[in-house]
Amino acid sequence: MMGDQFRKVEQYSPKSSPRGGRSPVVSRQDSSGTLKTTILLGKNPSIVPSGPFYLMKEPPGESELTGATNLMAYYGLEHSYSKFSGKKLKEQLSSFLPTLPGVIDSPGQQDNSSLRSVIEKPPIGGKDLLPLTSIQLDGFRLHPGPLPEQYRYTNSTPIKNKHKNKHKKHKHKEGGVPNQETTIADTSGDTHEKKHKKQKRHDEDKERKKRKKEKKRKKQKHSPEHSGGLTPSQHTSS
Amino acid sequence: MASSLENLETQLEMFIENVRQIHIIVSDFQPQSQNVLNQKLQALVHGLQEVDKLKSQVQDVAVPLEVFDYIDQGRNPQLYTKDCIEKALAKNEQVKGKIDAYRKFKANMLVELNRTFPAELNKYRALRGDE
Repeated sequence: MMGDQFRKVEQYSPKSSPRGGRSPVVSRQDSSGTLKTTILLGKNPSIVPSGPFYLMKEPPGESELTGATNLMAYYGLEHSYSKFSGKKLKEQLSSFLPTLPGVIDSPGQQDNSSLRSVIEKPPIGGKDLLPLTSIQLDGFRLHPGPLPEQYRYTNSTPIKNKHKNKHKKHKHKEGGVPNQETTIADTSGDTHEKKHKKQKRHDEDKERKKRKKEKKRKKQKHSPEHSGGLTPSQHTSS
Repeated sequence: MASSLENLETQLEMFIENVRQIHIIVSDFQPQSQNVLNQKLQALVHGLQEVDKLKSQVQDVAVPLEVFDYIDQGRNPQLYTKDCIEKALAKNEQVKGKIDAYRKFKANMLVELNRTFPAELNKYRALRGDE
């Protein structure tokens, strides 16, 4: 009896239901417990919602910390933010570790010194580190003389790097690529010179005008039309 | 924590300096430098022992793996910190924007619902305990 009823319903159920093969008529359990309905059968079947509200769910619990708060301030990272956002950081690793000797800006995979390789292939550990015995130290007995050419290339870099910070500005002034500081200094010097020149020209012009005025005054003194008083323009200028 | 990190940093710096000095000694080796070299090599072992001793003090330091990529590529690791801070700030602003928008939407919706379904909304509010 029930089977027949469902078969009938299935015939009319849409083939391409968004829920796949599930018929919309087949009752489903309401996991939220908010969809409470009363189905009345009989001559006039009807579905009456008996719960308070259809689709009413409990609101999610309010958490104290959300994205609405300024998390940078909450965790006291404003100082770090202002530190990093303001200045332009240098790209090279050597600018972060200026005292570290050797060439450190090249990729670590080139000379097998990458930190990744330490994680992927951890070194053998667990053994005690003991001072070298005299026999072991014999293995480090060296021949006098300089290193062969092929090992010397790293020799110059540590010293250069070691004093890099101290002579940074000086180095750039001597030659090579000028940095921002020097260019700023140079341009400010230029503008200063320009200003100086401008000032000089201005002074010269002033003097020339003064001389002209004096000449004029002398002329006016000796001329018959001279009234003896100052003209308004002369009054304001003197 | 800060002091243990500083200790480790000092030890590593001393170790690096020792290696640098060994490099200078061996790059143009003189016979009378052998004793100094031996001392430096012993100091090297001692330096490793000191670093090894400090490892227990920095066990709880978590370093993001991405920082290692920056260092391996010869890039300044502070750039990673900068990127992280900027991303976090952008995401924070984005989420705040969404929350504010939803708040406004809720307020507007309640106003409109109140206008259209005042009785239902009163019931709803009573159920929610919003009154």
